[in-house]
Amino acid sequence: MIEAKGVALRYPDQTLALKNIDLEIQPGELIFITGPSGSGKTSLLKLFLGMEYPTSGYLEVMGQLMNPTQAKAIRKLRRRIGPVFQEFKLFPGRTVFENVLLGHRFLHMPKTDLKENSMNALEKVGLAHKAFSLVENLSWGEHQRVAIARAVARKPLLILADEPTGNLDKENALKILNLLASFKDNKTSVIITTHATHLLDCEKYDKLIAIHHGVLQLERIG
Amino acid sequence: MMKNYRANAAYFIKEAVTIFRFNLFSNILSLFSIALIFFIFAMMFSGWQISNHAAEALQGEAEINVYYNQNIGTQGIFQLSEKIKGINGIKKVRLVDEKEAYSRMEKILGEESSVLKIFDENPFNPYLEIKIDLEQTDLVLNGLKVLPGIEHVRNNKEVLDRVHSIAGTIRIFGSLVLFAVGLSTLVIVSHMLRQGIEHNREQINTLRLLGASEVFIGIPYLLEGLLLTMGGGILSGLASEWVVRKMTVQLASVLPFMPFPQAGVLCQQILFALSALSIFLGIAGSMLALSSAKPD
Ligand SMILES: Nc1ncnc2c1ncn2[C@@H]1O[C@H](COP(=O)(O)OP(=O)(O)OP(=O)(O)O)[C@@H](O)[C@H]1O
Ligand SMILES: [Mg+2]
Repeated sequence: MIEAKGVALRYPDQTLALKNIDLEIQPGELIFITGPSGSGKTSLLKLFLGMEYPTSGYLEVMGQLMNPTQAKAIRKLRRRIGPVFQEFKLFPGRTVFENVLLGHRFLHMPKTDLKENSMNALEKVGLAHKAFSLVENLSWGEHQRVAIARAVARKPLLILADEPTGNLDKENALKILNLLASFKDNKTSVIITTHATHLLDCEKYDKLIAIHHGVLQLERIG
Repeated sequence: MMKNYRANAAYFIKEAVTIFRFNLFSNILSLFSIALIFFIFAMMFSGWQISNHAAEALQGEAEINVYYNQNIGTQGIFQLSEKIKGINGIKKVRLVDEKEAYSRMEKILGEESSVLKIFDENPFNPYLEIKIDLEQTDLVLNGLKVLPGIEHVRNNKEVLDRVHSIAGTIRIFGSLVLFAVGLSTLVIVSHMLRQGIEHNREQINTLRLLGASEVFIGIPYLLEGLLLTMGGGILSGLASEWVVRKMTVQLASVLPFMPFPQAGVLCQQILFALSALSIFLGIAGSMLALSSAKPD
């Protein structure tokens, strides 16, 4: 699913955000990535989504080589990925349902399927009753769940959730983690970054990865 | 692929409206600014059309009168006018007989035409009225010189030359002004559309991250651009039509001797120019704006 060999990421301002990353992720794995603020978690997910390219090393996502010459193919690859951004990036001025629908209506699918997928995703995150509220009127945790619904409505093979528990109380954080974990199946991998290591249950995950100053360490295999 | 875009047609339209409503105030401002600059363009355009029309009419009136020897007879007159028609640069030859010459003078004199009554006999001679192409005045005059049977040519060469150069100046100057106004219209409108797209840059980039194609992302903005330019086109079209109809009536009464184009024809030309401008600017402006909103 993901194969990284000696990957480094240096931002234009010379910040070396990731150093010599070696990583292999199989289909159907649930992976947690932890590390202090600024350690490079978001940067790693950006590489997987093609928002940044490795400045050195080799990176492949679902068989797609991640480098600038592949921009067009990477745009297509993204349709098989469900990203949940740290800052949500929802579409303002629209209802919850429209947000989820717009997240995948450009996929070549019959309209009825698009709508059904959207509603199903909202039901899964427990927001069906808010489907026709404007996103502006939602609470923080509800924003989070809309973002998740948008990411999973497209039935992705890879879910990338960046800090989905941030700002949530323990109970709700746990709910979100369990929800995301539930999308893992034998084809779909789920990668989640989080500070909340104390909530993690090693029974459930396949790998726990820690990042410190851009250096990756495999902490534990579940 | 195409099928997917067609299936999304309703969405694209709705999305364009959503985008419009989302920045309602700034979009309404843009709409009126576009209408205003289109209106200015329409006014320059009609000025250009009016002056072109006047220049053309002036040139069309350029004529030479040929007085012939009264003894050549009807046959002679016919032969002479056939020969004149053979000269390059002649558009039309027409015989003005004594009677017509008289009644023309009556018209010119108007209320004072009673002075003509002091003549017992018609004091005017018949002549050939020749419409010429101003570009070839000299050629025509030289050609006439060598024809037999001509007594006298009244040509007003200085006036004809002056008319010719005025018409040329009007044309060049008018085209330059129109070009400048057209160019600034293009720059201002595409800049305005760009501002609108900048407003939605975040959302556009999010769609890119979710894997939407540039075409899918772009169509609503294209439609919105068209909505703005065509809305502006309609508003300015209505305003221009009203002004042009008022203005031509006013001008015609102030400058009765000036040949003005018909208001209806002029309005049609303006509406045509505005439609072409709206559609072109809506598409070109949005495309330009979209391509400049690439991810950072
Ligand atoms: N676009 C950028 N340009 C330059 N430096 C950047 C950029 N984005 C991130 N960085 C730097 O790269 C390092 C890693 O940032 P990253 O966002 O990946 O951290 P993180 O682990 O996600 O932190 P947090 O837990 O606070 O979200 C930080 O030092 C950050 O300042
Ligand atoms: Mg982060």
